Amino acid sequence: MSNETDPTPASLSALLAETSIRLDLTASNKEDAIRQTGAALLEAGAIDASYTNAMLERERSVSTFVGEGVAIPHGTLSGKDSVINDALVVLRFPDGVDWDGNDVRVCVGIAARGNGHIALLSQLATVLLDPDRAAALRAATTSSLVYELLTPDPEDE
Amino acid sequence: MSERTVAVASSVGLHARPASLFSQAAAKVGVPVTLTSAAGKTVNAASILGVLSLGIGHGDVVTLAADGDEADTALDALAELLNTDLDKD
Repeated sequence: MSNETDPTPASLSALLAETSIRLDLTASNKEDAIRQTGAALLEAGAIDASYTNAMLERERSVSTFVGEGVAIPHGTLSGKDSVINDALVVLRFPDGVDWDGNDVRVCVGIAARGNGHIALLSQLATVLLDPDRAAALRAATTSSLVYELLTPDPEDE
Repeated sequence: MSERTVAVASSVGLHARPASLFSQAAAKVGVPVTLTSAAGKTVNAASILGVLSLGIGHGDVVTLAADGDEADTALDALAELLNTDLDKD
């Protein structure tokens, strides 16, 4: 169940398993990238298989491109029941993916129950608002650097 | 400086879909608009990353502000958007 008053939401890096960081992928198009993101969430034990369809449905409704070469595919509200455990996955496509004319290098897949995604998106957006951090994430080749970049600087809060 | 203070009506708050629709609308109003959270953090309303970074939930009160001749028209339109549940699937 959601807990809107939880004062200490999980951090991005705490929900990101090392095996869920994949830094050297290719995708033929946006839908392929979303399916790969869904597959990574499925392997992480975060969702059941129907969540990927909810992710594709959301993308048809509105693009999850957020700028800085990053997209955040996630399910629709009706896909919430498919979330088993909150988790994050990071997929990097060094050659880029055409995202309705935008060049996406990193997909951050998010599965969260209740309102957990609000705090997670806030942390992620805060990281990406720093152009140097966003550029470093697009270029990251080690999972340790991804962890470092996704741990928000306390001074930004 | 004109301002509008609004409680966010979207049932899931200002996250991906409502945040996208809102910031796209803010980018089209023709004047720079700022969005300030109840905690006092101010961002460019036309920046989806800025809007997402505020972590605004359902019912949270936010303040829109803009300057200039078009400010009132722009703020009325954006406040109306925030008064609407943008996440009805």
